[in-house]
Formats: sequence, structure tokens, C-alpha cells
Amino acid sequence: MPTLLDVQRAIGAFMAHGDLAAAEFVIADGIAPDSRLSIYRNTYAGNLVGALRISYPAVKRLVGEDFFEGAARDFIDAHPPQSAYLNDYGSQFGDFLAHFPPAASLAYLADVARLEWAVNCALHAEDAPPLDPARLAVLPVDVDLKFVAHPSVRLFQTQYPADAIWRATIDENDDALTAIDLDEGPLFIIVSRDVHGISVTRMSPDEFRFAKAIFAGIALSRALAAVDCDMSPSLAAHFTAGRFTGVHLEPSNTQEGTGL
Amino acid sequence: MTMQRTPPTAAMCERSPLPATAGIGLRFPHHRVVSETQPKIGWLEVHSENYMGGGTSLAYLDAIRTHYPISLHGVGLSLGSHGRLDALHLNRVKQLVDRVQPALISEHLSWSVVDGTYLADLLPLPMTEEALEIVCRHVDDFQATLGRRILIENPSSYLRYRHSTIPEWEFIAAVSARTGCGILCDVNNVYVSARNHDWDASVYLDALPANAIGEIHLAGHNVKELPNGRTIRIDDHGSRVTQDVWQLYDAALKRFGPVPTLIEWDTNIPALDVLLDEAAVAARALERSKENIHADAA
Repeated sequence: MPTLLDVQRAIGAFMAHGDLAAAEFVIADGIAPDSRLSIYRNTYAGNLVGALRISYPAVKRLVGEDFFEGAARDFIDAHPPQSAYLNDYGSQFGDFLAHFPPAASLAYLADVARLEWAVNCALHAEDAPPLDPARLAVLPVDVDLKFVAHPSVRLFQTQYPADAIWRATIDENDDALTAIDLDEGPLFIIVSRDVHGISVTRMSPDEFRFAKAIFAGIALSRALAAVDCDMSPSLAAHFTAGRFTGVHLEPSNTQEGTGL
Repeated sequence: MTMQRTPPTAAMCERSPLPATAGIGLRFPHHRVVSETQPKIGWLEVHSENYMGGGTSLAYLDAIRTHYPISLHGVGLSLGSHGRLDALHLNRVKQLVDRVQPALISEHLSWSVVDGTYLADLLPLPMTEEALEIVCRHVDDFQATLGRRILIENPSSYLRYRHSTIPEWEFIAAVSARTGCGILCDVNNVYVSARNHDWDASVYLDALPANAIGEIHLAGHNVKELPNGRTIRIDDHGSRVTQDVWQLYDAALKRFGPVPTLIEWDTNIPALDVLLDEAAVAARALERSKENIHADAA
């Protein structure tokens, strides 16, 4: 008698690449076992294509439903989900599209997908109350600051203007789409979520370098030392957008810090 | 397996922490209208996996749950998988339970995970002693983690295994008896599986322990014609409850007494009013069932 693991591995192989070994465990009763198994395989693929459709609406509109479904099915075969939390499924879709030959003529598609993944992560990131800037008004002197990033913050660099393409596609604004200059990159983008929703914002290379440092928990003085221009407006913008949830005070000459 | 038929009593209404009224499955398209209009409905059920993490959906649920009892219905824990439960997923469920404080928590008698891959469907188990032991161990672990009782739902299925030795109705009754968990009786699933496998639906209902039934599910299903002329019923939750299922529901209420009953709709989700309309049909059947108990008692 097959063990439970035998059955589950055989069905897993059927779901992954149509391996028919599982059919021998199944009673036909007027319907071929592989037809019975295929009902489950269709649901499996349908549910995952559906999850990708929700996470990648702009990619879907740019390539059309049929192309999207074909690409999604190839992606699912190459990257089956490792968790039942499907909001987390599809992180590698952008990298997959970058090397997907049928999409080779749409050089910007992978960048749009990477942006959509960042937006998806920001949408579903854990809730956390933003840091109140008033709490920095009463700091002792001679301390350095290490900020704690809101779980929704994502920073990335794109070759193409993925943000403009994404926005115009979601809004179905064809005029805006045709006006986009594909050569204006590279671009530096920050994505985050606050009570008003998702924000997708461009930054200068300096702002980006500074943001990379402070959102990685590097002390403010060191982050400032790495850039040439005034970062006060950038820091204020991060506060306004609720991108910090906490700050640690670090006496300048010791390793110890206190949470605020 | 011998069957003990317990006549339902009014006291059984109290066996579920939910009121013995009709509820509906809350899905994304109805978040806003439910939150803003607070329709008259006894309770709501949501899929646990849709509210993990943070953001808008969870904010809606936080707001809505102040007005309605909530049932958390999981689709991803895979109680029937060989090996241990996914600790990460179990922890996500636990966090959600702590936050939402649901009246009921349920999962499925099925499996979805093998060797770490999530197969994104509720797959049928071979009905064997080995599978029974594994499911019971996982239900024990789940209940111990949460510190409370869960319900398990009978699946709809499109295949049976050659080496199964236990009828599904005896299997699910045994899980309940061994672990103390309750049963979520999906009447549409009983109907779909009975028609697909030529089972007697009334035998299925009679085999379930009435005092363990904490909730009933109702939904629509689809009849698929195959090229060889055979038909198979697919549990797609995409239409109104069929007349045959409403009749089986009446039989279930006669057998179990009034039990909180959910209308589920997951594909081609209609306007909220359609769901409320279906729930009203269930509510009338529940009222009749309560009157019959009082008439019997008098």
C-alpha cells in the first residue's frame, strides 16, 4: 500500500510537470484518472495565475490577458509557491520576465514588474505606527540617531521610467503612455505606505544613497557624511510620508543605544 | 461503524459560539459596502490567508469586527500533509487569531503542501489509518497552539484512491472523536462528493456526530460535462445554492438542529444583496428548524 508521502509526492509531480505516476493510485469509475487529477491541476494553476494577476495589474495590461497567462504559467512551473500566504507569491516574476524570450521586445517590462512587486509588498506589509517628529525635539545633545524603517519601505533603481509607465497603465492613460521618454533613466525610486495609501516617489542619486543608508539602520551622521548636499528636506519628506517607526539614540562615543 | 442518532434539542443552539443564524463569506469587493452600510446579517466569515500582514484589508476587518461576530476559515494550513505543520504559517494564523478574536476557527480535511511546495488547492486524502493518525496529530498541534477548539470541514472531491479503507464520513467523525475538534459540515460538499462518487448523502449526514457540528456551509456548484458524456460536479462557489442542496440542508437541520450557516461565494462574486438574499433563505430554514424543536418539546 502506498504511504501518504508516496501519494503526495506523486501528485506534487503531476501538478509540477504532469507526471502521470499518480494516476495508478486513483479509481477511474468512468472518468480517466488523469482527467480527475487534471481538475486539481487546473485549480492550482488558476489560483496562482489569479494571485499574479492581482499583484501585477500593469504588466497584465501592457502585454494582454493571453500573453500574461502564458508567461504566468511558465513562471509557475519554474517557481512553484513555497508558502500558503499567496500575497508573498511571485517575488521573482520581474527577474523571470527579464529573461523571458517572448517579452524580449518589451525591455521595460521587467522594471515595471519589479515596481509592482514593491507596491504589492508595501500594500501587505505589517502595520506599524509612524514615528512622531515631535519626539526628536527633546533630544539630548551629542547623540547620534539610527532610524527604524516602516515595514512598507522599498528602495530600488530602474533602467526605465517604470513609475511613469506603471501609473499611465493603471490609469489607462494612453496619452501619458505615449509621452514617456524611455531613455530618461536610470531612476531612483522609493515606495512606502501610510494611512493615505501607497506612494511611489522619485529621488535624486544623492537622496537615494542617503535613504539607502538610513533605512538600513546606519547612523544619521554617517549617512550624511556620504552625501554632498543638504538632506534636511529629504529627511522631512520621509517623516511626512510616515517612513520611520522608531529611532534609537546612540551616544556618539559608545556602542550602547536607547530606544525612543 | 454504528450510528447513534441523537434527537436535536434547543440546547444544541449553544454548542457553537456563533448565533444559530445565517452569515455570509466576506470577500474584498464587499469590504467597503459592509463597513459603511452594516447590513443585517448574523455573522461574517473570512479566509484567514487574506488578512495576514497588514494594510487596507486588515484595517477593514478591524473595523467590521466591532459590528459582527467573525469566523476565521483557513485554506492553507494543510492538516493532511505528511510531516509537520508549517511553523511559519501556523504562527501567522496564531497572530491573526490573537488580533481578530474570532468566534470560530476552521480548516479543511485535505492537504495542500508536499516537500515545502504549496499546491494551492484542497487536495483529497487517501482515507487510511495512516492519514487519520497524521490528521489527528496536526489537529492536536493546531488546537494546542491556539489553546482552543477548531472545526474541520468535509471537502468536495473529484477522485478517490484505490487504497482507501475508511468511508470519508467515518474518517471525519473519527478525527472529531479523537481530537475533540468540531465539524464544519459543508452541505454542498456532501452533495457534490455524493453525486460524484455515487454515495448516499443521507448516510453521510447520519454518520456525523450531531453534537460536534459547529457550523454549516452552503454554496453553489457547477456541473461539468465531460467528452465521454459523463458529468462531474465542481465546487466552484460561483452561483446560487441549488434546490437539491437546499433540500439536503433541510435534512441536515433536522439531523443536527439549528446550526450557524454560511453562504459562500468565491468566483463571479455578485452584488452583496444577492448574498444577503441567499442568507435570508437559510435564515428562514433555521427559523423553521427552531420552531420544530419547540413544537417537539411541547
